Amino acid sequence: GCGNGGDDAAEDNGDAGGDGETYEWRFVTEENQGQVQYEYAEEFAERLNEKSDGQINIDVYEFGGLGSEVDQVEQLQSGVVEFAIVSPGFTGTMVEEGQLFALQFLFPDDVAETQEVLETSEALNTHLAEKYEEHNIKPLSFWTEGAMQWTGSTQLRTPDDFQGFAMRTQESPLIMESYRQYGADPTAMSWSELYTGLQQGTVDGQENPIFFIEDAGFHEVQDHMTISNHNNYVAMTTVNPGFYNDLPEDIQAMIDETVEEMKEVGFELQDQMNEELLDAIIENEDYPTDVYELNEDEREQFRELAEPMRDYFRENGGEDAAEILDMLEEEIEEVTGEEA
Amino acid sequence: MNTFNRVISILDRSLMKIEELILSFAIIVISVMVIGNVLSRTFTGASWAFNEEISRFALFLATFIGISYVARKGRHISMSAFFDLAPHKIRKALAIIIPLVTAIVLFVLAYYAYGYMASVRDSGRVTAALRFPYYWMLIAVPLGFVLGGIQFLRNAWINIKEKDVYLATDKKDYDRTDGAI
Amino acid sequence: MVTTLLAIMVIFLFLGFPMMIPLILAPLVVVLFFFPNVDPIFMVQQMMEGISSYVLLAVPLFIFAADIMSTGKTSKRLLDFVGAFVGHLRGGYAITTAAACTLFGSISGSTQATVVAIGKPMRERLLKVGYKDSSAIALIINASDIALLIPPSIGMIIYALISGTSVGELFIAGIGPGLLIFLFFAIYAYIHAKIFNIPLAEKTTWNARFKLTGKALFPLGFPVIIVGGIYTGIFTPTEAAGISVLYAIILEVLIFRSIKITQIPSIALSTGLVTSAVFVLVAGGQAFAWVIQFARIPQLITDAFLGGDPSAVYVLVIVAIFFFIGCMFVDPIVVILILTPIFYPAAMQAGVDPVHLGVVITFQAALGSATPPFGVDIFTASAVFNKSYLDVIRGTPPYIVMLLIVSILVIMFEEISLFYRFL
Ligand code: NA
Ligand code: NA
Repeated sequence: GCGNGGDDAAEDNGDAGGDGETYEWRFVTEENQGQVQYEYAEEFAERLNEKSDGQINIDVYEFGGLGSEVDQVEQLQSGVVEFAIVSPGFTGTMVEEGQLFALQFLFPDDVAETQEVLETSEALNTHLAEKYEEHNIKPLSFWTEGAMQWTGSTQLRTPDDFQGFAMRTQESPLIMESYRQYGADPTAMSWSELYTGLQQGTVDGQENPIFFIEDAGFHEVQDHMTISNHNNYVAMTTVNPGFYNDLPEDIQAMIDETVEEMKEVGFELQDQMNEELLDAIIENEDYPTDVYELNEDEREQFRELAEPMRDYFRENGGEDAAEILDMLEEEIEEVTGEEA
Repeated sequence: MNTFNRVISILDRSLMKIEELILSFAIIVISVMVIGNVLSRTFTGASWAFNEEISRFALFLATFIGISYVARKGRHISMSAFFDLAPHKIRKALAIIIPLVTAIVLFVLAYYAYGYMASVRDSGRVTAALRFPYYWMLIAVPLGFVLGGIQFLRNAWINIKEKDVYLATDKKDYDRTDGAI
Repeated sequence: MVTTLLAIMVIFLFLGFPMMIPLILAPLVVVLFFFPNVDPIFMVQQMMEGISSYVLLAVPLFIFAADIMSTGKTSKRLLDFVGAFVGHLRGGYAITTAAACTLFGSISGSTQATVVAIGKPMRERLLKVGYKDSSAIALIINASDIALLIPPSIGMIIYALISGTSVGELFIAGIGPGLLIFLFFAIYAYIHAKIFNIPLAEKTTWNARFKLTGKALFPLGFPVIIVGGIYTGIFTPTEAAGISVLYAIILEVLIFRSIKITQIPSIALSTGLVTSAVFVLVAGGQAFAWVIQFARIPQLITDAFLGGDPSAVYVLVIVAIFFFIGCMFVDPIVVILILTPIFYPAAMQAGVDPVHLGVVITFQAALGSATPPFGVDIFTASAVFNKSYLDVIRGTPPYIVMLLIVSILVIMFEEISLFYRFL
């Protein structure tokens, strides 16, 4: 990795932890080697190991070894694992307010501005974070794995293209309702069946960040990709609060510092991966994919249809949904300088 | 004592009927859900959003409530090579020890299963489509382990009471009088 | 810790405990003694995880469809159809058995169902024409193994679930190896009949053949629906399983009228019983697999056996040996559940095709199902035919040799499995 920044720190902090105790921790992710979350966690582990002069050892787990995404969250809550990367989408049946990340065309169009909102937002880092802490999950940071794009067996440019279109989504009422607004038939399907489902036409299209589309090979079985940037895939770096609070202060500080450093590292990781793999999809001659970027007019049509989903969320997103979303909308406005 | 035995026997029969009903019904529900969903998707274009949750619930029910029914019929999969080749005395001893220890393990599992169910209940997690509390899906688990444990106790008891070797209350050991071994 | 895990597993297994007990007890004890910060309730969480996937619903449905058809007339019609064409050949009854098992395999996902549906009627016919009982039973249990490779296949569903490979593609890939086994068995049947001078049966007239083919047409529609439906994308594998239940009911209840609709609940009960017996193992297997992953044991095993930069064939041979040994003692489904996550990453690194790996693994599971000391087919046959364990295994050695040869061919030539990519 690119962890040379930690070398000097490691020497300075040679005696970190005072009593020379060693730590063996576990960090679970929802992705595999070569994908953003896993590489983030590996880098996180490496940096902490260097900072602590080998005192802290973190084993990073690929997805699947310890069960489903929901299993992993439960294991984090109980302290079976210390750290986890969690997508709010998989905890939407528990922390309902977290479903706000499924709202399309809410965050700024520009990914860098989105990252700024994620880093500075009080709505997220204080109020939403509290909601998670009530459930024994302590979010250390919110970050983006990149903008989400559509792929389809036919081109998706306007809401008309979604009429009767079988769109595969995660099993979330809010996401499914969003696609119904466009006129699509949303179908929940496990992602392990998705490749075959697309290949054989059981479903017509799906949404994901570019790196994931390329890695899973969805472009091999889809003729079209639309750079829709309709949403951002947001992930949280989380820790078990009981475990974290019991740590010596200098170790806590070391973790906090690493989380701060990782904001930039994580952003560049996804930026580089999404850019490189977009080129890979465009240049792939064995499996040609027509890539189309939505223009402002087209985005506006979708944005209008997506807008009412915010009220849907205010009503169905848990008791603090309205308050958190209102505050977030203001914060987004401050960053972009226009109405969210 | 006679009345007591009769009451137990009636309870036993009714429990078996209920278990049979649940197992049979679960398989039929899974069939109806999956077939209904594919027909609906093919002809109307819309999937049954609830099909996955209901089917999964039925499968959990069949799996765990089935433990005691399968135990009653002596149909749990096991590696019986050593058991089959062992002399009568050892076979008899094993026929008591195995179900007894199995029952204990199942009771311990019932305790942990209840613990897991309670923790899911406290988390407030709901199912995605029908949004009913997720721990309802898990009720069959501790219940199934308890009923299974009781049935294995009975499998041990019949071997203590009777002279022959029983693989389960409803299944005597294979007839060995044909001089096969 | 590894010692504790294995010791509990082996001791309880050999004493003859229900297999779910060692499978759950071993990881539970390891958690209690070696991982104090792991709440044991997570063993239950993982048991539920093991049986939560939508894809798995295909298993009870395929069993249900096969149960309906073995209660009804489907299996007999398939037998008569095959017998009419090959029964008169040298070794014709044995060839008929193998062919009928292959055909019934395209309905049934499990070898046990095939033993019951085809084995029961065929054993009587084989004995009548002069086969020794031990040869007849050996033929039946080994030919039934073909069912695990011919789609649908429960073993492949489980592998697909763990590895993320497409069930549909795996199903197609099993056809080549399945037919290859059939070919070996048919040739052996011919040679065996020649040596032991088994009398020839009468040749069926073309008129009768025509009639019997007509009667078998509907049952032969099954493979078309399952393979065709999945391959063309009309259904997912789970949906195909549902449709096969619907097809079986329409066939047996409405067209053949061999089953009354009121009999369906009792058939569902027997499906439910098998489902429960299988799924407690799937559940327990997941708890076992979780502890192995949590303790990072896969890394130890792959470092020890697959260190350096092993070739694809070498990896496949190691995988085959581990699965073969595993299936000698434990139910194949459990072996697939536990060993697949251990070997899959190393195999991918060595450039093995995931579909080819799945076929090799399923093949070993099939082989193991009929191989002593443990083999689900052996116990099924022992129960169905009321024969002792030793009587059942007496005739199996020639078949095991043949299966080993085919196994080597399947490992060496991935084209046998991946033939469909050249079409
Ligand atoms: Na099959
Ligand atoms: Na075996």
